Amino acid sequence: MLNFIARRIAAGAVLLVVISFLSYLLLSVPHIDVGRQLLGESASQSAIDAKNASLGLDEPVLRQYANWFAHAVRGDLGTSWFTSEDVGQAVGNRLPVTASLMLGVTAVTTVLAFLLGVWAGVRRGAADRFVQVLGVVGYALPGFLLTLVLVLVFAVRLRWFPAIGYTGFTDSPSGWLSTITLPVLSLSVASVAGVSQQVRGAVIDALRQDYVRTLRARGLPASRIVFKHVLRNASAPALSVLGMQFVGLLGGAVLVEQIFGLPGIGSMTVTYTARGDIPVIMALVMLTVVGVVLINLLVDILIGWLNPKARVA
Amino acid sequence: MSRTARTASVAACVAASLALAGCAGESGGAAGTGSSTLNIATMTLPQSLDPAVATGSALPYFQAVYDTLIKREPDGTFSPMLATEWTYDKTRTHLALTLRKDVKFADGTAFDGAAVKANMERFQKGGGASAKWLADLKAVDVTDATHVTLELAQPNPAMEFYLSDAPGLMANPKRFAKADSLKTTPDGTGPYRLDKTRTTVGTKWSYARNPDYWGKELPYKNITISFFDNETAITNGLKTGQINAALLQTSDQQIAVESDPKVKTEKQEFDFQGLLLFDRDGRITPALRDPRVRQALNYAVDRDTMLDRIRQNRGRTTSQVFGPETQAYDKKLDTYYAHDPAKAKSLLKQAGYAKGFTLKLPRITAIVNDALAASLQSDFKAIGVKLVWDTLDGASAVQKVFKDRQYSGMVMNMGQSTSDWAAADELVTPGAFNMFGTTDKVTRKLLPALKAGNEAEAKSAARELNHHLVEDAWFLPFYRMSYLHVSDGTVKISPQSGMAVPSIYNYAPAK
Repeated sequence: MLNFIARRIAAGAVLLVVISFLSYLLLSVPHIDVGRQLLGESASQSAIDAKNASLGLDEPVLRQYANWFAHAVRGDLGTSWFTSEDVGQAVGNRLPVTASLMLGVTAVTTVLAFLLGVWAGVRRGAADRFVQVLGVVGYALPGFLLTLVLVLVFAVRLRWFPAIGYTGFTDSPSGWLSTITLPVLSLSVASVAGVSQQVRGAVIDALRQDYVRTLRARGLPASRIVFKHVLRNASAPALSVLGMQFVGLLGGAVLVEQIFGLPGIGSMTVTYTARGDIPVIMALVMLTVVGVVLINLLVDILIGWLNPKARVA
Repeated sequence: MSRTARTASVAACVAASLALAGCAGESGGAAGTGSSTLNIATMTLPQSLDPAVATGSALPYFQAVYDTLIKREPDGTFSPMLATEWTYDKTRTHLALTLRKDVKFADGTAFDGAAVKANMERFQKGGGASAKWLADLKAVDVTDATHVTLELAQPNPAMEFYLSDAPGLMANPKRFAKADSLKTTPDGTGPYRLDKTRTTVGTKWSYARNPDYWGKELPYKNITISFFDNETAITNGLKTGQINAALLQTSDQQIAVESDPKVKTEKQEFDFQGLLLFDRDGRITPALRDPRVRQALNYAVDRDTMLDRIRQNRGRTTSQVFGPETQAYDKKLDTYYAHDPAKAKSLLKQAGYAKGFTLKLPRITAIVNDALAASLQSDFKAIGVKLVWDTLDGASAVQKVFKDRQYSGMVMNMGQSTSDWAAADELVTPGAFNMFGTTDKVTRKLLPALKAGNEAEAKSAARELNHHLVEDAWFLPFYRMSYLHVSDGTVKISPQSGMAVPSIYNYAPAK
């Protein structure tokens, strides 16, 4: 297992280098005149050239990338061109916001999707139809609409939750809970809809297997068969989908963070990408790649733990 | 207790605890706390807190920690701040400033004439907007600690305006040696100091009252300025009192907030929206060389319908680029180009473009939304002009429009300066917004008169210049947009003349 983890991490590191290089190249293609953007339209060409030179933008792209890489491997991600923030610090400040959302959504999805999926798969009939309809509605409901309705009803009208802003967990656990509840709810609906369908399908498949018939014949209680044997086997595909949903949440987080005014990674990505702030964008790309690699690894380990057949030698 | 009842009671407890948590979060977070903290929301992100990069709508971030030499009052008049008096000599090329005594920077360094000189020279070297504004500044002569004279290469009637804006912000010169030190650790003489422990650069800046401030303290002990990238979040924050004050520019958010009886609003017309025609020499689009073609485009545009459809009538249509607070402004010019497609066609025919021509313009969707893009296209099509939009992101637009000069014009939202010279210098003097350097006999005569003439001469030149620019169709303004200063009901906001956003001094608890 250790060997497997080491191989995956090494592959992840290679992926990180390749993606960082390609991203840098792609970001440099438009040749955005950063100096002019920073100094304004009225700045003289000599002042703009001097600004670009001070940022190292007068060098060939490959050298710029090499400089960036040399600093990045030492943990120095540079300074934002447009806000003068230390990039590491800027990303670090915003990461807890998005991480809270993603973990919250994953927790809600795991509990609700598995409950609904197992209920539908085992009971079938009306329960199954109900969960399927719920799944279709949850998936089809436009995310922005749901988010707007939630904020207008529960925050602006009823004042149960704050409409905007984020409170750190360490500052106030109750404040943290109140600031992430609505965003997590709005992101969870589609996620629960998707994963519960996967769980339902996997449970139905597992229930048709011979070993389940044997277990039933041996007189094992139905709950034990479902929760100990069926769920274990059905979890693998559901976990894969959950992992993908987790990664996909980054995209959904953009909208939710904007509407709730949450200073997270999603809204940061939009703001800084629009300006072409390469040091910040590169850090965000790296963070995403590391996140994807780690989550996939975690999902594989979990699947292996749940299902010995899936374990690697 | 039945299972259903148990479940219901658990659900109720969870809901109650979340609700309580919500209340706790609100009062402990960004909620309004009377006159102790003022929470301002903005969609402007400052590059840093170094005055060298200060620009218009980011000015409040700087005003909290830096004083300007001259203060601009909400009505646009100038009053003493770090300079107690200022007078021009007869040639209007020497501006003598008397500075306030006993003013100190955060580290105790005295503010004096040498500090003014160091700041001015640094602005000039910085290369940004302040450098352009101080282009006429030849030297700063320091007579003594409280007296300096700004020597100008030629008279500049906007100098007081500039000294009340970004180039007037005074930072501690001791910090200049270390290039980046002011960026995140500002050091000025202003009414507040940056509270770094509660500041997250990029999202929220917290300022605490400066206990050593030389002047009258402002009403709030603390001020926070939070950055948002959309107005929906700001509107919701205003409605729930998490934000105390903000500027709303879009008409839909203005309408959304006005329905709340608690909020207080204050209207201001600052930006105008219009098509800046750069290519008056016809280098890219030859047709634009002929004033009749530019006039035809002006007559083609149905400003009333545009204002109604695009901004729900929140604004005032206009044909002039000078704002109502300038001497150049003439109310009659607002309606100079009434919608008249027949006249537009006839002008095109006279100019030899009866079959029309193609005009390619850049489109930044944040400025030119779908409704505006379609409206202009159909108005121009009605007179035979094919408008082709080239959609660009903001960063590429700066490059392609201002550096590569690929387009004949651009639809922009431009702030209307209260200074005639500042407005003329920005739009008419060859430079960024007159990138092909168009001049004519009239502008060559009037610009120097506006800049160097006495008060009466300058006023007359400004009015004449404005008439000429409208009649010769140098621009194609659509309307001045109504912006809404909104408070959650706890704050009285005074709009600031010459700025879209209020100065930091313009907020007070509502009575």
